[in-house]
Amino acid sequence: MISRKQNQTRQRKLSRLAVGWLGLVIVAALWQLLAVTLHTSVFPTFIASLVAAWKVVTSSALRVDIIPSLERTAVGFLISVIIGITAGMIIGHYEVVRDWTSAVVDFMRSLPTPLLVPIAIVIFGINGRMVVATIVSAAIWPILINTANGTSTIEPTMIDTATTYGLRGRTLFWRVVLPAASPQIFAGLRIALSVSLAVMVVAEMLGGGSGIGYFIANAQQSFNIKGSYGGVIVLGCLGWIFDTLFLSFERRLLSWQRGTLGGSFDV
Amino acid sequence: MSNSILSIRNLRVSIQSRDGSLNEITRDVSLELAPHEFVSIVGPSGSGKTTLLRAASGLRPPNGGTVVFNQMPVTEVPKGLAIVFQEYNKSLFPWLSIFKNVAMGARDCSSHERSERVTKALAQVGLSGFETRYPWELSGGMQQRAALARAMVSDPQILMMDEPFASVDALTRNHLEDVVQKLWDSSTFSALMVTHDVGEAVYLSDRVLVLSARPSTVLAEIKIDLERPRSHFETKQSKRFVELAAEVLEKVEEAGRQSVQGKELI
Repeated sequence: MISRKQNQTRQRKLSRLAVGWLGLVIVAALWQLLAVTLHTSVFPTFIASLVAAWKVVTSSALRVDIIPSLERTAVGFLISVIIGITAGMIIGHYEVVRDWTSAVVDFMRSLPTPLLVPIAIVIFGINGRMVVATIVSAAIWPILINTANGTSTIEPTMIDTATTYGLRGRTLFWRVVLPAASPQIFAGLRIALSVSLAVMVVAEMLGGGSGIGYFIANAQQSFNIKGSYGGVIVLGCLGWIFDTLFLSFERRLLSWQRGTLGGSFDV
Repeated sequence: MSNSILSIRNLRVSIQSRDGSLNEITRDVSLELAPHEFVSIVGPSGSGKTTLLRAASGLRPPNGGTVVFNQMPVTEVPKGLAIVFQEYNKSLFPWLSIFKNVAMGARDCSSHERSERVTKALAQVGLSGFETRYPWELSGGMQQRAALARAMVSDPQILMMDEPFASVDALTRNHLEDVVQKLWDSSTFSALMVTHDVGEAVYLSDRVLVLSARPSTVLAEIKIDLERPRSHFETKQSKRFVELAAEVLEKVEEAGRQSVQGKELI
Protein backbone atom coordinates (compact mmCIF):
# COMPACT_ATOMS: atom_id res chain seq x y z
CA MET A 1 0.00 0.00 0.00
CA ILE A 2 2.70 2.39 1.09
CA SER A 3 5.04 1.37 -1.68
CA ARG A 4 2.26 1.91 -4.19
CA LYS A 5 1.75 5.39 -2.86
CA GLN A 6 5.47 6.07 -3.04
CA ASN A 7 5.45 4.72 -6.57
CA GLN A 8 2.69 7.08 -7.52
CA THR A 9 4.55 9.99 -6.01
CA ARG A 10 7.67 9.06 -7.91
CA GLN A 11 5.73 8.73 -11.14
CA ARG A 12 4.11 12.09 -10.65
CA LYS A 13 7.50 13.65 -10.00
CA LEU A 14 8.97 12.03 -13.09
CA SER A 15 6.12 13.13 -15.29
CA ARG A 16 6.45 16.68 -13.99
CA LEU A 17 10.16 16.59 -14.76
CA ALA A 18 9.43 15.25 -18.23
CA VAL A 19 6.93 18.03 -18.89
CA GLY A 20 9.52 20.57 -17.78
CA TRP A 21 12.06 19.23 -20.24
CA LEU A 22 9.46 19.07 -22.95
CA GLY A 23 8.82 22.77 -22.46
CA LEU A 24 12.53 23.39 -22.93
CA VAL A 25 12.57 21.33 -26.14
CA ILE A 26 9.61 23.30 -27.51
CA VAL A 27 11.30 26.64 -26.80
CA ALA A 28 14.48 25.37 -28.50
CA ALA A 29 12.46 24.21 -31.52
CA LEU A 30 10.70 27.58 -31.77
CA TRP A 31 14.07 29.32 -31.56
CA GLN A 32 15.41 27.10 -34.34
CA LEU A 33 12.34 27.70 -36.51
CA LEU A 34 12.41 31.46 -36.00
CA ALA A 35 16.14 31.72 -36.73
CA VAL A 36 15.83 29.63 -39.88
CA THR A 37 12.89 31.72 -41.09
CA LEU A 38 14.53 35.08 -40.34
CA HIS A 39 17.83 33.88 -41.70
CA THR A 40 19.91 36.77 -40.38
CA SER A 41 23.47 36.78 -39.11
CA VAL A 42 22.55 38.57 -35.86
CA PHE A 43 20.27 35.72 -34.76
CA PRO A 44 21.98 32.33 -35.05
CA THR A 45 19.96 29.14 -34.87
CA PHE A 46 19.62 27.15 -31.68
CA ILE A 47 21.79 24.35 -33.00
CA ALA A 48 24.51 26.75 -34.14
CA SER A 49 24.46 28.38 -30.67
CA LEU A 50 24.64 24.98 -29.01
CA VAL A 51 27.64 24.07 -31.16
CA ALA A 52 29.23 27.41 -30.23
CA ALA A 53 28.58 26.69 -26.54
CA TRP A 54 30.23 23.30 -26.93
CA LYS A 55 33.21 25.00 -28.57
CA VAL A 56 33.44 27.40 -25.64
CA VAL A 57 33.63 24.66 -23.04
CA THR A 58 36.05 22.53 -25.05
CA SER A 59 38.39 25.35 -26.01
CA SER A 60 40.97 27.23 -23.96
CA ALA A 61 38.10 29.50 -22.88
CA LEU A 62 37.23 26.88 -20.29
CA ARG A 63 40.50 27.56 -18.47
CA VAL A 64 40.86 31.24 -19.31
CA ASP A 65 37.27 32.39 -18.78
CA ILE A 66 34.84 29.87 -17.36
CA ILE A 67 36.88 28.53 -14.46
CA PRO A 68 37.96 32.00 -13.28
CA SER A 69 34.31 33.10 -13.41
CA LEU A 70 33.28 30.12 -11.32
CA GLU A 71 36.02 30.84 -8.82
CA ARG A 72 35.06 34.50 -8.53
CA THR A 73 31.39 33.66 -8.08
CA ALA A 74 32.16 31.02 -5.47
CA VAL A 75 34.60 33.22 -3.54
CA GLY A 76 32.32 36.27 -3.72
CA PHE A 77 29.31 34.25 -2.63
CA LEU A 78 31.17 32.60 0.25
CA ILE A 79 32.53 35.90 1.55
CA SER A 80 28.98 37.30 1.38
CA VAL A 81 27.70 34.26 3.28
CA ILE A 82 30.24 34.61 6.09
CA ILE A 83 29.90 38.37 6.51
CA GLY A 84 26.16 38.42 5.81
CA ILE A 85 25.22 35.72 8.33
CA THR A 86 27.54 37.03 11.05
CA ALA A 87 26.50 40.66 10.67
CA GLY A 88 22.87 39.67 10.17
CA MET A 89 22.79 37.72 13.41
CA ILE A 90 24.37 40.58 15.33
CA ILE A 91 22.00 43.12 13.80
CA GLY A 92 19.02 40.84 14.38
CA HIS A 93 19.95 40.01 17.94
CA TYR A 94 20.81 43.45 19.30
CA GLU A 95 18.09 46.03 18.93
CA VAL A 96 20.57 48.87 19.47
CA VAL A 97 22.73 47.69 16.57
CA ARG A 98 19.60 47.35 14.45
CA ASP A 99 18.57 50.93 15.16
CA TRP A 100 22.02 52.27 14.32
CA THR A 101 22.53 50.29 11.13
CA SER A 102 19.09 50.21 9.53
CA ALA A 103 19.53 53.44 7.54
CA VAL A 104 23.02 52.45 6.38
CA VAL A 105 21.83 49.01 5.29
CA ASP A 106 18.83 50.45 3.47
CA PHE A 107 21.05 52.93 1.64
CA MET A 108 23.74 50.44 0.72
CA ARG A 109 21.41 47.77 -0.56
CA SER A 110 19.53 50.23 -2.75
CA LEU A 111 22.66 51.13 -4.72
CA PRO A 112 22.47 49.66 -8.24
CA THR A 113 25.42 47.31 -8.61
CA PRO A 114 26.69 48.46 -12.04
CA LEU A 115 27.25 51.82 -10.37
CA LEU A 116 29.79 50.22 -8.06
CA VAL A 117 31.87 48.65 -10.83
CA PRO A 118 33.75 51.86 -11.78
CA ILE A 119 34.53 52.49 -8.10
CA ALA A 120 35.72 48.91 -7.67
CA ILE A 121 37.89 49.25 -10.78
CA VAL A 122 39.51 52.34 -9.30
CA ILE A 123 40.21 50.51 -6.05
CA PHE A 124 41.17 47.05 -7.32
CA GLY A 125 42.00 47.52 -10.99
CA ILE A 126 40.82 45.36 -13.88
CA ASN A 127 41.07 41.90 -12.42
CA GLY A 128 39.31 39.11 -10.57
CA ARG A 129 39.50 40.82 -7.19
CA MET A 130 37.41 43.67 -8.53
CA VAL A 131 34.77 41.16 -9.67
CA VAL A 132 34.76 39.42 -6.28
CA ALA A 133 34.42 42.75 -4.46
CA THR A 134 31.51 43.76 -6.67
CA ILE A 135 29.79 40.41 -6.10
CA VAL A 136 30.15 40.81 -2.33
CA SER A 137 28.82 44.36 -2.43
CA ALA A 138 25.59 43.09 -3.97
CA ALA A 139 25.13 39.53 -2.69
CA ILE A 140 25.70 40.36 0.96
CA TRP A 141 22.41 42.26 1.39
CA PRO A 142 19.80 39.58 0.83
CA ILE A 143 21.73 37.31 3.21
CA LEU A 144 22.23 39.97 5.85
CA ILE A 145 18.65 41.20 5.78
CA ASN A 146 17.09 37.74 5.83
CA THR A 147 19.39 36.60 8.63
CA ALA A 148 18.61 39.71 10.67
CA ASN A 149 14.88 39.18 10.14
CA GLY A 150 15.05 35.51 11.03
CA THR A 151 17.08 36.26 14.13
CA SER A 152 14.96 39.14 15.40
CA THR A 153 11.66 37.33 14.92
CA ILE A 154 12.65 34.18 16.78
CA GLU A 155 9.97 33.04 19.23
CA PRO A 156 10.65 34.36 22.77
CA THR A 157 9.33 31.07 24.15
CA MET A 158 12.07 29.26 22.25
CA ILE A 159 14.74 31.45 23.83
CA ASP A 160 13.11 31.01 27.26
CA THR A 161 13.16 27.25 26.81
CA ALA A 162 16.79 27.23 25.75
CA THR A 163 17.73 29.45 28.70
CA THR A 164 15.92 27.13 31.07
CA TYR A 165 18.07 24.23 29.89
CA GLY A 166 21.25 26.19 30.38
CA LEU A 167 21.99 27.30 26.83
CA ARG A 168 23.67 30.70 26.95
CA GLY A 169 25.86 32.93 24.84
CA ARG A 170 27.55 31.29 21.90
CA THR A 171 25.93 27.89 22.46
CA LEU A 172 22.53 29.55 22.36
CA PHE A 173 23.45 31.21 19.08
CA TRP A 174 24.71 28.05 17.40
CA ARG A 175 22.22 25.57 18.77
CA VAL A 176 19.02 27.61 18.76
CA VAL A 177 19.14 30.99 17.04
CA LEU A 178 20.91 29.79 13.90
CA PRO A 179 18.71 26.73 13.27
CA ALA A 180 15.57 28.70 14.11
CA ALA A 181 16.50 31.36 11.57
CA SER A 182 17.80 28.91 8.97
CA PRO A 183 14.70 28.74 6.76
CA GLN A 184 14.85 32.51 6.31
CA ILE A 185 18.62 32.48 5.94
CA PHE A 186 18.35 29.93 3.15
CA ALA A 187 15.79 32.04 1.32
CA GLY A 188 18.34 34.88 1.42
CA LEU A 189 21.18 32.60 0.31
CA ARG A 190 19.27 31.47 -2.74
CA ILE A 191 18.63 35.04 -3.84
CA ALA A 192 22.26 35.92 -3.14
CA LEU A 193 23.43 33.05 -5.32
CA SER A 194 21.58 34.24 -8.38
CA VAL A 195 22.65 37.82 -7.62
CA SER A 196 26.28 36.62 -7.45
CA LEU A 197 26.03 35.10 -10.92
CA ALA A 198 24.38 38.15 -12.43
CA VAL A 199 26.83 40.58 -10.84
CA MET A 200 29.77 38.42 -11.89
CA VAL A 201 28.70 38.75 -15.53
CA VAL A 202 28.08 42.50 -15.32
CA ALA A 203 31.38 43.21 -13.57
CA GLU A 204 33.32 41.08 -16.04
CA MET A 205 31.64 42.76 -18.99
CA LEU A 206 32.56 46.19 -17.68
CA GLY A 207 36.12 45.37 -16.64
CA GLY A 208 36.91 41.84 -15.66
CA GLY A 209 39.87 41.37 -17.98
CA SER A 210 38.74 37.75 -18.35
CA GLY A 211 35.81 35.52 -17.49
CA ILE A 212 32.58 34.46 -19.10
CA GLY A 213 31.12 37.96 -18.98
CA TYR A 214 34.25 39.35 -20.62
CA PHE A 215 34.07 36.53 -23.18
CA ILE A 216 30.47 37.33 -24.11
CA ALA A 217 31.12 41.07 -24.36
CA ASN A 218 34.27 40.45 -26.38
CA ALA A 219 32.58 38.02 -28.76
CA GLN A 220 29.79 40.49 -29.34
CA GLN A 221 32.17 43.39 -29.99
CA SER A 222 34.17 41.34 -32.52
CA PHE A 223 30.97 40.32 -34.32
CA ASN A 224 31.32 36.73 -33.17
CA ILE A 225 27.57 36.53 -32.68
CA LYS A 226 27.43 32.74 -32.45
CA GLY A 227 30.18 32.87 -29.85
CA SER A 228 28.28 35.28 -27.64
CA TYR A 229 25.12 33.15 -27.89
CA GLY A 230 27.25 30.15 -26.97
CA GLY A 231 28.52 32.05 -23.92
CA VAL A 232 24.97 32.87 -22.90
CA ILE A 233 23.97 29.20 -23.09
CA VAL A 234 27.00 28.19 -21.02
CA LEU A 235 26.10 30.84 -18.46
CA GLY A 236 22.50 29.63 -18.30
CA CYS A 237 23.69 26.09 -17.68
CA LEU A 238 26.03 27.27 -14.92
CA GLY A 239 23.21 29.12 -13.21
CA TRP A 240 21.00 26.06 -13.42
CA ILE A 241 23.73 23.81 -11.99
CA PHE A 242 24.38 26.23 -9.11
CA ASP A 243 20.71 26.44 -8.26
CA THR A 244 20.20 22.68 -8.41
CA LEU A 245 23.19 22.02 -6.18
CA PHE A 246 22.02 24.66 -3.76
CA LEU A 247 18.49 23.28 -3.56
CA SER A 248 19.65 19.74 -2.85
CA PHE A 249 21.91 21.10 -0.12
CA GLU A 250 19.05 23.12 1.34
CA ARG A 251 16.65 20.19 1.23
CA ARG A 252 19.11 18.07 3.15
CA LEU A 253 19.73 20.71 5.79
CA LEU A 254 16.13 21.77 6.25
CA SER A 255 14.65 18.29 6.01
CA TRP A 256 13.09 18.81 9.44
CA GLN A 257 10.65 21.29 8.01
CA ARG A 258 7.08 20.24 7.52
CA GLY A 259 6.40 18.73 4.15
CA THR A 260 9.95 18.46 2.94
CA LEU A 261 10.51 15.19 4.78
CA GLY A 262 8.39 13.01 2.53
CA GLY A 263 10.26 14.27 -0.50
CA SER A 264 7.00 14.80 -2.39
CA PHE A 265 7.32 18.53 -2.03
CA ASP A 266 9.21 19.91 -4.96
CA VAL A 267 10.17 23.50 -5.51
CA MET B 1 9.52 28.56 56.87
CA SER B 2 13.01 27.33 56.35
CA ASN B 3 12.00 23.99 54.89
CA SER B 4 10.29 25.46 51.86
CA ILE B 5 11.97 24.77 48.56
CA LEU B 6 10.82 27.97 46.92
CA SER B 7 10.19 31.16 48.78
CA ILE B 8 8.73 34.18 47.05
CA ARG B 9 8.52 37.31 49.18
CA ASN B 10 6.77 40.57 48.33
CA LEU B 11 7.38 40.07 44.64
CA ARG B 12 6.73 43.11 42.51
CA VAL B 13 6.97 43.09 38.71
CA SER B 14 6.47 45.94 36.30
CA ILE B 15 6.61 45.90 32.55
CA GLN B 16 7.85 48.82 30.54
CA SER B 17 5.18 49.83 28.09
CA ARG B 18 5.89 51.29 24.67
CA ASP B 19 5.81 54.90 25.78
CA GLY B 20 8.45 54.10 28.39
CA SER B 21 6.21 54.27 31.44
CA LEU B 22 6.30 51.44 33.96
CA ASN B 23 3.18 49.32 34.08
CA GLU B 24 2.79 47.54 37.40
CA ILE B 25 1.67 43.95 36.81
CA THR B 26 2.32 42.31 40.15
CA ARG B 27 2.25 44.45 43.27
CA ASP B 28 2.89 42.16 46.20
CA VAL B 29 2.89 38.37 45.97
CA SER B 30 4.37 36.06 48.60
CA LEU B 31 4.36 32.30 48.45
CA GLU B 32 6.10 29.41 50.18
CA LEU B 33 6.32 26.13 48.34
CA ALA B 34 7.07 23.06 50.47
CA PRO B 35 8.91 20.01 49.14
CA HIS B 36 6.60 17.81 47.07
CA GLU B 37 3.77 20.27 47.30
CA PHE B 38 1.51 21.09 44.37
CA VAL B 39 0.41 24.72 44.27
CA SER B 40 -1.65 26.43 41.60
CA ILE B 41 -2.05 30.11 40.97
CA VAL B 42 -5.32 31.18 39.39
CA GLY B 43 -6.57 34.61 38.56
CA PRO B 44 -8.52 36.54 35.98
CA SER B 45 -6.99 37.17 32.57
CA GLY B 46 -4.44 39.93 32.72
CA SER B 47 -3.66 39.39 36.39
CA GLY B 48 -0.05 38.80 35.46
CA LYS B 49 0.16 35.06 36.09
CA THR B 50 2.69 34.41 33.35
CA THR B 51 4.79 37.42 34.36
CA LEU B 52 4.77 36.18 37.93
CA LEU B 53 5.98 32.75 36.83
CA ARG B 54 8.71 34.26 34.69
CA ALA B 55 9.99 36.26 37.65
CA ALA B 56 9.69 33.30 40.00
CA SER B 57 11.70 31.07 37.66
CA GLY B 58 14.46 33.59 37.05
CA LEU B 59 13.60 34.19 33.41
CA ARG B 60 13.26 37.89 34.24
CA PRO B 61 14.37 39.93 37.23
CA PRO B 62 11.65 41.19 39.56
CA ASN B 63 11.32 44.91 40.26
CA GLY B 64 11.06 44.28 43.95
CA GLY B 65 11.01 41.45 46.47
CA THR B 66 13.00 38.24 46.51
CA VAL B 67 12.83 34.73 45.14
CA VAL B 68 14.81 32.09 47.01
CA PHE B 69 15.21 28.57 45.67
CA ASN B 70 16.97 26.03 47.90
CA GLN B 71 18.28 28.80 50.18
CA MET B 72 19.85 30.51 47.15
CA PRO B 73 18.57 33.79 45.69
CA VAL B 74 17.34 33.33 42.14
CA THR B 75 19.08 35.52 39.56
CA GLU B 76 18.79 33.26 36.55
CA VAL B 77 16.96 30.00 35.96
CA PRO B 78 18.58 27.69 38.54
CA LYS B 79 19.48 24.06 38.06
CA GLY B 80 16.75 21.83 39.39
CA LEU B 81 14.01 24.05 38.04
CA ALA B 82 12.12 23.01 34.92
CA ILE B 83 9.43 24.92 33.08
CA VAL B 84 6.66 23.72 30.82
CA PHE B 85 5.25 26.47 28.64
CA GLN B 86 1.77 26.85 27.27
CA GLU B 87 2.92 26.98 23.67
CA TYR B 88 4.42 23.54 23.13
CA ASN B 89 4.74 24.28 19.41
CA LYS B 90 7.12 27.12 20.23
CA SER B 91 8.99 25.48 23.06
CA LEU B 92 9.89 22.25 21.27
CA PHE B 93 12.68 22.79 18.76
CA PRO B 94 11.26 21.89 15.34
CA TRP B 95 14.64 20.93 13.89
CA LEU B 96 15.29 18.29 16.55
CA SER B 97 13.71 14.84 16.76
CA ILE B 98 11.59 14.07 19.82
CA PHE B 99 14.52 12.15 21.31
CA LYS B 100 16.91 15.07 20.89
CA ASN B 101 14.34 17.55 22.15
CA VAL B 102 13.81 15.56 25.32
CA ALA B 103 17.56 15.01 25.68
CA MET B 104 17.95 18.80 25.99
CA GLY B 105 16.79 18.35 29.57
CA ALA B 106 19.80 16.20 30.39
CA ARG B 107 22.61 18.06 28.70
CA ASP B 108 25.05 17.55 31.55
CA CYS B 109 24.77 13.77 31.62
CA SER B 110 26.99 11.28 29.83
CA SER B 111 25.48 10.15 26.56
CA HIS B 112 24.71 6.72 27.98
CA GLU B 113 22.87 8.07 31.01
CA ARG B 114 21.16 10.65 28.87
CA SER B 115 19.71 8.11 26.52
CA GLU B 116 18.55 5.96 29.45
CA ARG B 117 16.81 8.91 31.05
CA VAL B 118 15.17 9.99 27.81
CA THR B 119 13.88 6.49 27.17
CA LYS B 120 12.46 6.34 30.69
CA ALA B 121 10.84 9.78 30.51
CA LEU B 122 9.28 9.06 27.13
CA ALA B 123 7.85 5.84 28.54
CA GLN B 124 6.43 7.75 31.53
CA VAL B 125 4.47 10.08 29.28
CA GLY B 126 3.49 7.32 26.86
CA LEU B 127 5.64 8.40 23.94
CA SER B 128 7.82 5.32 23.53
CA GLY B 129 8.37 4.64 19.86
CA PHE B 130 8.23 8.28 18.83
CA GLU B 131 11.92 8.98 19.39
CA THR B 132 12.80 9.64 15.78
CA ARG B 133 9.71 11.68 14.93
CA TYR B 134 9.79 15.42 14.56
CA PRO B 135 7.47 17.65 16.65
CA TRP B 136 5.21 18.55 13.72
CA GLU B 137 4.43 14.88 13.20
CA LEU B 138 2.83 14.70 16.65
CA SER B 139 -0.56 15.94 17.84
CA GLY B 140 -0.73 18.89 20.24
CA GLY B 141 -1.28 16.70 23.28
CA MET B 142 1.64 14.49 22.32
CA GLN B 143 3.87 17.51 21.83
CA GLN B 144 3.00 18.77 25.30
CA ARG B 145 3.78 15.31 26.69
CA ALA B 146 7.15 15.51 24.99
CA ALA B 147 7.71 18.88 26.67
CA LEU B 148 6.78 17.25 30.00
CA ALA B 149 9.22 14.42 29.33
CA ARG B 150 11.95 16.97 28.65
CA ALA B 151 11.24 18.63 31.99
CA MET B 152 11.28 15.24 33.75
CA VAL B 153 14.59 14.26 32.19
CA SER B 154 16.28 17.13 34.00
CA ASP B 155 15.14 15.50 37.27
CA PRO B 156 13.76 18.78 38.65
CA GLN B 157 13.15 19.67 42.28
CA ILE B 158 10.49 22.03 41.12
CA LEU B 159 8.34 21.96 38.03
CA MET B 160 6.76 25.22 36.91
CA MET B 161 3.94 25.10 34.41
CA ASP B 162 2.45 28.07 32.59
CA GLU B 163 -1.08 27.19 31.50
CA PRO B 164 0.26 23.84 30.32
CA PHE B 165 -3.05 22.50 29.01
CA ALA B 166 -4.61 25.66 27.61
CA SER B 167 -3.82 24.86 23.98
CA VAL B 168 -5.40 21.40 23.76
CA ASP B 169 -8.95 20.07 23.52
CA ALA B 170 -10.94 19.07 26.63
CA LEU B 171 -10.39 15.32 26.41
CA THR B 172 -6.67 15.70 25.85
CA ARG B 173 -6.61 18.12 28.73
CA ASN B 174 -8.09 15.53 31.12
CA HIS B 175 -5.55 13.03 29.94
CA LEU B 176 -2.63 15.44 30.32
CA GLU B 177 -3.78 16.37 33.83
CA ASP B 178 -3.56 12.74 34.79
CA VAL B 179 -0.15 12.42 33.17
CA VAL B 180 1.07 15.30 35.33
CA GLN B 181 -0.60 13.88 38.43
CA LYS B 182 1.04 10.51 37.88
CA LEU B 183 4.45 12.06 37.30
CA TRP B 184 4.08 14.11 40.45
CA ASP B 185 2.85 11.12 42.48
CA SER B 186 5.71 8.91 41.44
CA SER B 187 8.36 11.55 42.02
CA THR B 188 9.41 14.02 44.67
CA PHE B 189 9.33 17.36 42.88
CA SER B 190 7.22 20.33 43.88
CA ALA B 191 4.91 21.83 41.30
CA LEU B 192 3.87 25.41 40.72
CA MET B 193 1.19 25.76 38.07
CA VAL B 194 -0.36 28.87 36.66
CA THR B 195 -3.79 28.43 35.10
CA HIS B 196 -7.10 30.14 34.52
CA ASP B 197 -8.98 26.86 34.75
CA VAL B 198 -10.42 26.56 38.26
CA GLY B 199 -11.38 22.88 37.95
CA GLU B 200 -7.90 21.96 36.82
CA ALA B 201 -6.27 23.87 39.68
CA VAL B 202 -8.49 22.21 42.30
CA TYR B 203 -8.12 18.77 40.74
CA LEU B 204 -4.32 18.79 40.81
CA SER B 205 -3.30 20.99 43.73
CA ASP B 206 -2.69 20.87 47.45
CA ARG B 207 -3.23 24.59 47.61
CA VAL B 208 -4.69 27.19 45.27
CA LEU B 209 -3.75 30.86 45.37
CA VAL B 210 -6.16 33.33 43.81
CA LEU B 211 -4.62 36.50 42.43
CA SER B 212 -6.44 39.79 42.37
CA ALA B 213 -6.78 41.85 39.23
CA ARG B 214 -3.76 43.78 38.02
CA PRO B 215 -1.66 45.00 39.82
CA SER B 216 -2.00 41.68 41.55
CA THR B 217 -1.78 40.60 45.15
CA VAL B 218 -2.79 37.26 46.69
CA LEU B 219 -6.53 37.59 47.23
CA ALA B 220 -7.14 34.19 48.79
CA GLU B 221 -5.45 30.93 49.61
CA ILE B 222 -7.55 27.79 49.57
CA LYS B 223 -6.34 24.45 50.86
CA ILE B 224 -7.45 21.51 48.78
CA ASP B 225 -8.07 18.59 51.13
CA LEU B 226 -9.15 16.08 48.51
CA GLU B 227 -7.86 12.53 48.81
CA ARG B 228 -5.14 11.35 46.50
CA PRO B 229 -4.85 9.78 44.04
CA ARG B 230 -7.61 11.69 42.33
CA SER B 231 -9.56 10.66 39.27
CA HIS B 232 -11.71 12.50 36.80
CA PHE B 233 -14.65 10.19 37.38
CA GLU B 234 -14.73 10.07 41.15
CA THR B 235 -12.99 13.20 42.42
CA LYS B 236 -14.78 15.58 40.11
CA GLN B 237 -18.18 14.13 41.10
CA SER B 238 -17.47 14.42 44.81
CA LYS B 239 -19.27 16.97 46.92
CA ARG B 240 -16.04 18.32 48.36
CA PHE B 241 -14.58 18.95 44.91
CA VAL B 242 -17.65 20.90 43.85
CA GLU B 243 -17.55 22.96 47.06
CA LEU B 244 -13.87 23.77 46.69
CA ALA B 245 -14.21 24.62 43.01
CA ALA B 246 -17.12 26.93 43.82
CA GLU B 247 -15.10 28.61 46.53
CA VAL B 248 -12.15 29.23 44.20
CA LEU B 249 -14.40 30.37 41.40
CA GLU B 250 -16.14 32.84 43.69
CA LYS B 251 -12.79 34.38 44.60
CA VAL B 252 -11.70 34.52 40.97
CA GLU B 253 -14.92 36.28 40.06
CA GLU B 254 -14.46 38.69 42.93
CA ALA B 255 -11.03 39.46 41.52
CA GLY B 256 -12.56 39.92 38.10
CA ARG B 257 -15.08 42.43 39.43
CA GLN B 258 -12.25 44.42 40.98
CA SER B 259 -10.68 44.77 37.61
CA VAL B 260 -10.91 48.40 36.55
CA GLN B 261 -10.97 47.58 32.89
CA GLY B 262 -13.94 45.37 32.25
CA LYS B 263 -12.46 44.03 29.04
CA GLU B 264 -9.74 42.32 30.99
CA LEU B 265 -12.28 39.85 32.32
CA ILE B 266 -12.26 36.28 31.17
